[in-house]
Amino acid sequence: MDDAGRRVTIDQKLLEESAEDLYENAPCGYLSTLPDGTIVKVNQTFLTWTGYRREDLLAARRFHDLLTVAGKIFYETHLAPLLRMQGFVNEIAFDLVCDDRRRAPLPVLVNTVQKKDAAGQPLLNRIMVFNASDRRRYERALLIARQKAEQVAEELQRLNETLEERVWLETEERLKAEEALRQAQKMEAIGQLTGGVAHDFNNHLAVITGYLEMLERRFGQSDESARRAARKALDGAERAAKLTHRLLAFSRRQPLAPTVLNVNKLVAGMSELLRRTLGETVALETVLAGGLWTCFADANQLENAILNLAINARHAMPSGGRLTIETANTHLDEGYCRQHAGVTPGQYVMVAVSDTGTGIAKDLLDKVFEPFFTTKGAGEGTGLGLSMVYGFVKQSGGHIKICSEVEQGTTVKIYLPRLLGASDDASETAETTATALYSAAETILVVEDDEDVRAYMVEALQELGYRVLAAGDGAAALRLLDEGREVDLLLTDVGMPGGVNGRQLAEAARQRHPGLKVLFTTGYAGNAIVHHGRLDRGVALITKPFTYTALAAKIRQALA
Amino acid sequence: MRSILKRNNVRVSGRGRQPMIFAHGFGCDQNMWRFITPAFAADYRIILFDHVGAGGSDLAAYDRIKYGALQGYAEDVLEICRELDAMNAVFVGHSVSAMIGVLAAIREPDRFDKLVLVGPSPCYINDGDYVGGFNREDIEGLLQFLDDNYLGWSSAMAPTIMGNADRPELGAELTNSFCRTDPEIAKHFARVTFLSDNRPDLPKLKTRALILQCSADVIAPEAVGRYLHRELASSDLVLMKATGHCPNLSAPEETIAAMRAFLRAPSMP
Repeated sequence: MDDAGRRVTIDQKLLEESAEDLYENAPCGYLSTLPDGTIVKVNQTFLTWTGYRREDLLAARRFHDLLTVAGKIFYETHLAPLLRMQGFVNEIAFDLVCDDRRRAPLPVLVNTVQKKDAAGQPLLNRIMVFNASDRRRYERALLIARQKAEQVAEELQRLNETLEERVWLETEERLKAEEALRQAQKMEAIGQLTGGVAHDFNNHLAVITGYLEMLERRFGQSDESARRAARKALDGAERAAKLTHRLLAFSRRQPLAPTVLNVNKLVAGMSELLRRTLGETVALETVLAGGLWTCFADANQLENAILNLAINARHAMPSGGRLTIETANTHLDEGYCRQHAGVTPGQYVMVAVSDTGTGIAKDLLDKVFEPFFTTKGAGEGTGLGLSMVYGFVKQSGGHIKICSEVEQGTTVKIYLPRLLGASDDASETAETTATALYSAAETILVVEDDEDVRAYMVEALQELGYRVLAAGDGAAALRLLDEGREVDLLLTDVGMPGGVNGRQLAEAARQRHPGLKVLFTTGYAGNAIVHHGRLDRGVALITKPFTYTALAAKIRQALA
Repeated sequence: MRSILKRNNVRVSGRGRQPMIFAHGFGCDQNMWRFITPAFAADYRIILFDHVGAGGSDLAAYDRIKYGALQGYAEDVLEICRELDAMNAVFVGHSVSAMIGVLAAIREPDRFDKLVLVGPSPCYINDGDYVGGFNREDIEGLLQFLDDNYLGWSSAMAPTIMGNADRPELGAELTNSFCRTDPEIAKHFARVTFLSDNRPDLPKLKTRALILQCSADVIAPEAVGRYLHRELASSDLVLMKATGHCPNLSAPEETIAAMRAFLRAPSMP
């Protein structure tokens, strides 16, 4: 009995201690104040959070003395009246001013209950204080998120309102891009076809021209009618060769010899030629941009292109008008390039040729670059002029654009990529100097897969006095070299079947005979020695079909 | 016609003939007069109302331009008087409503017999020699503070934070069934109140006024009460024992006694 009684007493004391401990160290601050706010009791948790000592607060400070100015106003205008009327106030967000002045105010949430006597008079306020540092951060994040959500909602509404218009624009843009791509693919396909035909045709022409020249040389002195016939046949072959050359130009397979080019200088240098071409009735105006960038392109071909455009313009202005040639620095941006298949965004040198002529109908504009398309009457033009310009620009990494209004005129703009870095004005390259055409009995190794062409070349070279070795492909040529034959010049076709092309053969041959001279022949350059539309430096090249004289001169040049 | 009474949630009671109009201040509604009005119900016609934006007023009637200055609130007081045909009234205004009453009495002096100004201030911001009690940054701080609290009080947040999403009505119940205020209106009212400066109006008041000045009032310090007493042509200043800003709630007996003493004294000729 005694034991049990004592145990109860001990438990009671422990309980009181626990209650005291819980009060002092609760996870929230506790304060008791008089109705006017004077603090009469405070727990340890509150003291720890705020840094105040108990004696600083008890009977000395009112609760709202510990608030920021804004908090004090809110306490007087909201909390105190509500507490008096309602008996409690919950979840008020205050910032407590702490004792340690270096500490920022502590964000807290405050719940208050008012204790009253039997007559309803206030006796005491019990204040519970929660540390709300984290919650305040969430609330701020929520506020920001809500503002963002409202912004997004507004944005969305705006987008919805303009949806139809944007769908229309987007569709329009896609259709344009698809059309541009289709057009580019068509031009590519036509280019492949014409290029292939022209290449084979050139081989045949080389044979025809070669033997015609031989006939002329052998019988031309004695038989005048034979000489005339051969000459006429040769003239025909030459015209055919020009045609195939234009086709190659269109299919971007003409060998180009690009140099660092000042387009202003080039245009200025053409003015006399252009005036003669345009005649009396067409006025020529040139607008050349100051500070024009340089580009890297074949000067002769660019001249040809401008001349071609000028001739077209003259045809479009039968009763006179004005031709304007304009140059400018231009930037083609992503948006433009999306609308024009195969164009790379970047800086370009632009040459625009404009006339005040009859113009071209919209439905025909897409076709003007196609070979043999012409608006001129039968016999007035080949329909290859614009095709050549197109092929040259594309092969030079550029872009061409035609704009036309019926009865207003036409503008063709040529864009050539800006050359960055090098600026050596190397346009004055030494022209072919007259050299002796005949041999000093050197040995030439001819490599050509077309039997007829090979036979003609062997015969022609022998006629010129050279010793000639011949091979049908790269492997056979290397075997000859390996046998120890002395060779002064390798004369090889660029494009050959059998796994070794002309370029690879030249490399392999030079490993065996360093310093070996090389001259390439080609129906078209393909990719073997033409990179990005330009010949590698130091490469000697003769294009088929070539004349006897041209071959003789090129060989002397190569051997020099 | 009736819409004005509805707009301002006007309640009329009492058995007397002389009107006694009670106007609450920022943060409260007509409930704040609950300990005062019973003392005067026998002798006066008691008129209670809520400013638009507070208590049971019609929130839809809130007009940011009209209520962008205290004159808008004074206009409402006069409209209520006209509606109830109130003349020769006693106007009792707490805090910012003390100034609202002053503005109304300047415009229509005949309607007002006496003014009782509880914790009044013509200008809360310090200005040269004038001590209002606050500077401009304090008022900006108050607006930020209101943001913090209304976030917790707003209907959108309360259910989430208190875990009563399925019973949202608990959020409203738990916080505040007296002094209801729309958060946005309260912020605007705070700005209009604490940035107001009616010092130039004070000499125009001809009506007799009682200034009830509490001790240790953060909102309207004693210096402000003394300033008013100097500037008003006919005023009594009573320095109360009550502390804080709401003697009508914290010390109703002292407030009633001071009012009775003032109202018993004969009007100035």
